Amino acid sequence: MTEISNLQFALMVALPVLVFLILVVIYPLVYALWMSTQNIQFFGGYQTDFVGLDNYRDVLSDKDFWHSTWISVRFTAESVVLTLVVATALAVLLNRNMRGRGLIRSILILPWAMSPYGTGIVFFYLVRGQTGIGTAVAAAFGSSDTFNLLNREFVIEILAIGNAWNMAPLVAFFLLANMTTIPTRLYDLAAIDQMSALEQFRHVTLPPLRFTLFVFTCITTVMSLKMFDYVFTFTRGGPGDASAVLTYQLYKISFQDLNLGYGAAMSFFLLLLILGSTGLLYLVWGRRETA
Amino acid sequence: MMGTSPLARIGLVVALVIALLWTVLPLYWVLKFAFETSGEIALFPPPLFPPHPQPGAFYSIFGFPYKLASGNTLLPSGQSHQILLGLRNSLIVAVIVTAITLIVVVPLAYVFARLEFRHRNKLLTAVLLAVSSPPVSTLIPFYALYVQLDLVNTLTGLIIVTLTITIPFVTWMLIGFFRNLPPVERLARIDGFSRVYTFARIMVPLGRGGIAVAAGIAFLFSWNEYVYAQVLVTGSEAVTLPAAVSGFLFQDPEPSQLAASMWLSVLPPFLLCFFLQKHIGEMNLVDPVR
Repeated sequence: MTEISNLQFALMVALPVLVFLILVVIYPLVYALWMSTQNIQFFGGYQTDFVGLDNYRDVLSDKDFWHSTWISVRFTAESVVLTLVVATALAVLLNRNMRGRGLIRSILILPWAMSPYGTGIVFFYLVRGQTGIGTAVAAAFGSSDTFNLLNREFVIEILAIGNAWNMAPLVAFFLLANMTTIPTRLYDLAAIDQMSALEQFRHVTLPPLRFTLFVFTCITTVMSLKMFDYVFTFTRGGPGDASAVLTYQLYKISFQDLNLGYGAAMSFFLLLLILGSTGLLYLVWGRRETA
Repeated sequence: MMGTSPLARIGLVVALVIALLWTVLPLYWVLKFAFETSGEIALFPPPLFPPHPQPGAFYSIFGFPYKLASGNTLLPSGQSHQILLGLRNSLIVAVIVTAITLIVVVPLAYVFARLEFRHRNKLLTAVLLAVSSPPVSTLIPFYALYVQLDLVNTLTGLIIVTLTITIPFVTWMLIGFFRNLPPVERLARIDGFSRVYTFARIMVPLGRGGIAVAAGIAFLFSWNEYVYAQVLVTGSEAVTLPAAVSGFLFQDPEPSQLAASMWLSVLPPFLLCFFLQKHIGEMNLVDPVR
């Protein structure tokens, strides 16, 4: 058999995939770029007119866009913090020696197997007034009111909780894998130093996890910013526009109002937000972690 | 590890109960609807347990009538056809997507993980970029393309678009996995094996645990895909289970049938999880970013 070089072997397996990836990454980007410079009309016959950067200018002066951006940022920030806190707590718990650990692991991972749209449906019925858990708990304490947790003030927080419920198990399992590589000797030393449980967590458990935490902060940030189906089945942007995240706003503009050129322009701002926030995370945090 | 004083043990139990409640309560709250009638679901206050559990909703979504103990009959759901189609299509799509993903991704991840070559980091960045592009913004270009290629409402179209989700993510996951395998290539080369042989006969068998997890993840992502399905195949012969299930949510809200069809959509992933939870820790999402 003739010998081939690393590059040749790499090209052999990677080329078909790269062609495919380029097609599915570059093509939509280029097409969206073209659309964003057009005014596209469906009514009275399909028609496109070149409008240059007008769509982008309109997005920047669109109050709904800024509202949605703010909602997205809030939803993402809350989701990420909650996810990491819950995931760390789950990982610490699963790292303990206890009976039935396999079964407990199998149960605690379940939310992650749930699709985002399914999570949306589940939390919709869980928090909604009539069928909701708020009402059930209140009734158990003798109240006869319905408690709707899905209200304007707290809808983002409720969304973030459901999102964290969905994402935390995956993060927890990766943190757990990381924790098991911490030598038990370090815990023995910590015991000799008479560290409290909290100190032990801060000085022994946490340091080796920092890079993993950074990476999952980025992953959950990206996942939350691009999350659509969960919000779609849960709140549909409501009540009113209180939870209209950017992806939902995009869906509304493109698929309900059929304002495709404008939607395409807005989608680039979303992409910018996603890349910008991961870049920012790297600059202020990731750069300092040597892993 | 730490001392097991009674206080610490109580703390552990409390933490465990909270974690289990956090996990199970939301699932239980909705999945129990499947065993209640619409009347029972509308009760005030909402019952903690189904008052008269019965499997009627499952009969309905599969297109059969069910006679309740009260003498009333639950009619077969008008959407049973969509549910059955969706179940079949979701299985077809998920199996094909999983197979193609593995064929493509295993060699790709191996190359990225183990070989040094020019432009490697640029290519890796392209993979990561593909992971972070939001489906909502790629939907419109895909839809426009599919209209021209006549791929709207087809399983082929859905499979192609689902691959754009699974391939980048699974590649990323497997790169970290392959990197941590023992460095046996040099030994294989000394023994005179070719690169292709080394990969196919040594690395793939060595990495089959990780490859199995990759398969599980690809299946899960494909099975749970909703954004593209909602726009590309809803209401057609190519409908998938998620798109069919959402029919009970919007067109004709029917919580007990919705819950019953959600049982269908969550059971395969839940069973898969019993396997995945053991091995997912061997994967590594952190390594490729270093």
